[in-house]
Order: sequence, then C-alpha cells, then structure tokens
Amino acid sequence: MENTPLGFLILALLVANCLALLLSRDWRWSLAALGAQYLLAFFLVSVYWPLELAAVKLVGGWMATAILGMSYLNMAEQPDESAGFPRSRGFLGLAAGLVIIIVVGAAPALAAWGRQFTGSEAWGGLLLIGLGVIQVGLGSRIFRIILGLLTLLAGFEILYASVETSILVAGLLAIVNLGISLIGSYLLLAPGMEPRS
Amino acid sequence: MSSALLWILVPLALGVALLFYSRQDAFPGLLASLTCLFLSLAAWQLPLDVVMQLGPFTVEIAPSFIMLGRSFTLGEAQTPLLAFIYLLEAFWLLGAFFAKPGRLFVPISLICVGLLVASLAVEPFLYAALLIAVAAMLIIPLMVPPGSRPGPGVQRFLKYQIFAVPFILFTGWILSGVEASPGNLDLVLRAGLLLALGFTFLLALFPFHSWVPLLAKECHPYVFGFLVFFLPSIALIFGLGFFDRYAWLRDGNFAYPLVVWAGALATLLAGLWVAAERHPVRMFAFAAMANIGFGLQAVGLGGVQSAQVFFALWLPQALAMWVWATALGAIGSDQLPGRVSDSPSIPSTHPGLAASLLLAAFSLAGLPALGGFPGRLALLDGIAAVSPLAAVATLAGSLGLLIGALRMLVQLMPREQGGRQKWTEEAEVDKPPSHRIQMTGLYAWVLLAISAVGLVGFGVLPQLFLSSVPGMAAMFTQLLP
Repeated sequence: MENTPLGFLILALLVANCLALLLSRDWRWSLAALGAQYLLAFFLVSVYWPLELAAVKLVGGWMATAILGMSYLNMAEQPDESAGFPRSRGFLGLAAGLVIIIVVGAAPALAAWGRQFTGSEAWGGLLLIGLGVIQVGLGSRIFRIILGLLTLLAGFEILYASVETSILVAGLLAIVNLGISLIGSYLLLAPGMEPRS
Repeated sequence: MSSALLWILVPLALGVALLFYSRQDAFPGLLASLTCLFLSLAAWQLPLDVVMQLGPFTVEIAPSFIMLGRSFTLGEAQTPLLAFIYLLEAFWLLGAFFAKPGRLFVPISLICVGLLVASLAVEPFLYAALLIAVAAMLIIPLMVPPGSRPGPGVQRFLKYQIFAVPFILFTGWILSGVEASPGNLDLVLRAGLLLALGFTFLLALFPFHSWVPLLAKECHPYVFGFLVFFLPSIALIFGLGFFDRYAWLRDGNFAYPLVVWAGALATLLAGLWVAAERHPVRMFAFAAMANIGFGLQAVGLGGVQSAQVFFALWLPQALAMWVWATALGAIGSDQLPGRVSDSPSIPSTHPGLAASLLLAAFSLAGLPALGGFPGRLALLDGIAAVSPLAAVATLAGSLGLLIGALRMLVQLMPREQGGRQKWTEEAEVDKPPSHRIQMTGLYAWVLLAISAVGLVGFGVLPQLFLSSVPGMAAMFTQLLP
C-alpha cells in the first residue's frame, strides 16, 4: 500500500481519527473514533493477512468497543473529564504533534530496517503506538487508560501482522484486546456494584 | 489423550465451571484442591507417550497437542515442574479456606494456573507473553472486589503487563534475524534491548516496580501473594527458556552480566525497602521483589548452575511466600495495622500465625537452617565468582530482609508496659471472644506445622527436600553440560 493514493488516504484518516480519539471528552465520540480506528487498522493489516484473518482484528476490536459502550450505557452519566493540565486540548494537541514528528522521522527508518513493513504500515503502527502511550500516560481515568492500551495494541498489531501470520497469535491478540476491554468495563462498573458479603 | 489436555484444559474447564457455582461453601475449594493434587500426582507418576492398560481401557498420554497450527508440548522433561506447580496451587487453594480471599479466588486462580502452564507449553515459546498477559488480566477482578474503586496500583499493574507484550513478541521477530546472522551486532543490541524492556515490565523491575507496594495495600494480601508469586515465577522460567533456546544469548558476553546486575539491583533496593518498611503487607511486597531479584540473578549465573540454583531458590521461596500470604490473609486486612508496632495483640490472638509469619520472613531472608539458606548460599557462591560487587549488593539485600524480619520479631514480642504485659492484658480483656477462639484455631497450628516442617526441612535436609531440583532443571536441555 506504499505510496498509493489509498495508502495516503488511510494514513490521513488515521491521523484525524487518532486526534479525535485523543481530544474528545465525550465517551460516545471516543468510542466512535475507536471503532473507526479498528476499521482503518483492518485495511492496513489486510495487506499482509488473508481477509478472513484480518477480519478477526476488526470484529475483535469492534466487540471491545461495544463492551465499553455497553458499560457506559449501564452507568450513571459521568461528569466530563477535567480540562486542566495535562488533559487540556492544547497540551494533548502539542503532545500528539510531537508524536507525529517522531513518527515522520522513525517510520521510514523502521521500514528500511525491517524490510517486511511498507511505509504506510510502519507509519500507521508507530502513530497508534505513540498516541496510545500518550493516552495511557496522561489519562487519569480508567476509561482513558483502556482506550490508550487498546490503541497501543492496535498499532503493535499492524506492525506485527507483517512479520507473523499465525492464526493462534491472531486469536490470542483478539483475546487480549477483549480481555482489556472486559477488565476496563469491570473496573468502570465495580464501584457501583453491590459488595458481596 | 494429550498432556496439554490433562494439565491445561482440565484446570481451565474446571475453573470456568466453578465460576458459575454461586453458593458460598467449601465445595469449589475442595474439588479444585483435589483436582490439583491429582494433576500433581499424575505429573509425578504417569509416563508420557507410553500405552497404559487401565482395566479394559488403554490410555496413552501424548506429549503434544496441536491447536490452530501451533503445538502445546508438555513432555517428560516438564513433568517435575508441573507436579510442583499443581502441588503449590493445591496449597494456595487450601490456604484460601483460612485466608478467605473471596469466592472467585478458587476458579480464577485455577484458570490462571492453567494459562500459566499453557504459557510454558506453547510453541513457539514467545507466544507465552500473550498467555501471561491474559492470566494477569484475569486476576484483576480479585484485586478490585465489587463495590470498591480501582486504585493506582491496579492501573499500573495492568499497564505494565500489557506494555510487556509488544516488547517480547517483537523480540521474537528480531531473534529470528539474529539466529540467521549472529555476528550482526546491531540486531543483537536491538533484540537485547527489547527483551530487557519486556522483562523489566513483566517482572516489575526498577523503575517499573511501583505497582507492587501500591497493590499490596489495595488488595487482599492472599490475592496479592498469589499474584507476586506465580506471575514472576512463570515469567522467570520463561526467561530461562530464552537462554536455553538461543545460543547467541548464552555465548554472548553481555547477557549474563546484565541479568546478574538487574537482579542485584532489584535485590539491593528491595532489601533496603524491607529494612525501612513497617507496614506488614508492604514488607511482604518488597520481600517478593527481592525474590524476583534472586531468581533473576540465578538465571544470570549461566550454564547448568543457573537452572539448578533457580529451582533451589524457588521451592523454599514458594513455601515461604504461601505461608506469609496465608498468615497475612488470615489475620485479615481489616485487622492489619498500619505498622507492626501498633499491633501488640497479633501474637496473643494469633500466636500460630505470628510464628508462621516470622518463620517465612526469616526463611526469605536466608537465615541458616531455614529454607532459603541453601539456595542463597549457592547463589552467592556463584555470583561472587562472576561479579564480587554484585555479590556484595545481593548480600546487602539479604541483610535488609534480615533486618526487616528482626524488626518484625521485635515488634511482635510481648512488651512490658507499666509493670504488666500489655498484649496479654489486651488479649484477655479487650478483645472479643472470637479472637481468643482463633488463638486455638486448628488452621493456624496446621499452617505453623507445615511452615516449620517445610521451611526447616529445606534448610536442614536440603539433599532430601531439594532432591527434585536436578529433575526440574533438566527441562532446560541446552543449559546442561
């Protein structure tokens, strides 16, 4: 997918989507962006993997998104996240800009060194990993941490897909994604649950 | 039938089934304990790949099981380790009757152990990182019971365990390149760096250790003990597997010293923290970190010595960790004081538990005649030959553990206050009758008996108690001479 218009389009959409995921404060928009992120990751992974195997990542990712959404639907409306430092949009945008600059420098080097990756996959994978780490590092709430971990893993899966095509690994990574989502859902709901005697 | 079905699928299936058992009685614990004892006995006695006649039936346990194009292999070489893993799990399940970590402990711990055994069996073995991550995530509901808010310790634990996965899996890809051209220093350096980062996250090594003491105060001590024993143990065995499989790692002159020094640093810091710590559960947490350091140093010894010293350390550590966690769990998080010194009533209301705590602490400190001593001596002997400075750091860490244990002893001793023994008066007058009942509680004395026989046995009769060590170390065939 390197240097094709479609490759550039997917990367541009991925950047916009990642920024939306990072900057949105409403959980509905965040989850919509997460769902779109898995679709874009699916396009990048399908370059290396058969369509039916790549679809595992898409379905697994959407299931993880749905689990988080269902949890939020069962919770009382939560107050918005603090807009102060370090969750202010300005600071997050600056951090995202730094990640993009690093990725612009690192992706071609990774593609040249790794040989298995094309530029688009290296770009997409590193971008998601970088922004996932920012979400995990700067998120104070469980929801943000879970979104960050899922984003990080999605980036890793894009890169790893080019070097590993095992069905078992695809299944285990899908289980890890679903597990993170289920654990996140449990941690979101646990404070409101009835304590067991 | 295959060995993977027996030692992986059976505990997983039983664990999942027990999740749906909602009555609060002893049945799940007893069933799971008996199953683990059976699995341990089977690992010890049943031959693999041999046709056996059981009445009218013939049974053969094949060592491999293919799933989704990859194999799960548990051969004869792994059976001594399997026997001990399931024996230890049986201990943890039986201890749960006493420590009361919650209804879900039995099924979830069983599933976790099944997954951890699967991580030792999977081929290619690097996929173990994924199975370990799944097992780590499964324990989280035990740490955050319904009605409680997840603390920073749980959050960091989750983050770091997930961070470890990409590093270790990517290492596998780079390693294939290293095997093809071992002279490529650039590849070797990158693989080593990724591997080191992955294991730093996985084993909670400095500076990614902060979740350990935080989590110790956030969750039930028994659950915490299970976590900090099983997860790092399997991760260290997984780490030994790297040295067993990759000749360039064994032959390179950078890997072993790096591991030795990482372990020495972990031991030194943990020892210093134990010496300065007063909260009993956090003390336990730092002692667990020191154990990881000792294990890492054993891995770094290299050759056949590494696996043998590792298991010689691991077996008594396993018993001591279980005893310490059970005693803390039985005393109860709500009764645990902020400081041991604030709790003059513990030895009076729980004398058996207090004695067990001390035995475990002194054993982990490596006191002569207790379980930790023979392995610690072998470790120090080996480390001193490799790096005398690292041996000094290890010794200082051990000294820190000893100071912590002595502090616990002093603070648990009855003290004279105004001409009378305060703790005795409190025990007789201030405490409700239920505490006095626990004083003679059968479980506490059974725990003390097990810890005394086991920990003193490991220390005084190592030839007998550690006789299985060569068999366990034999699973790492390439490390043998």
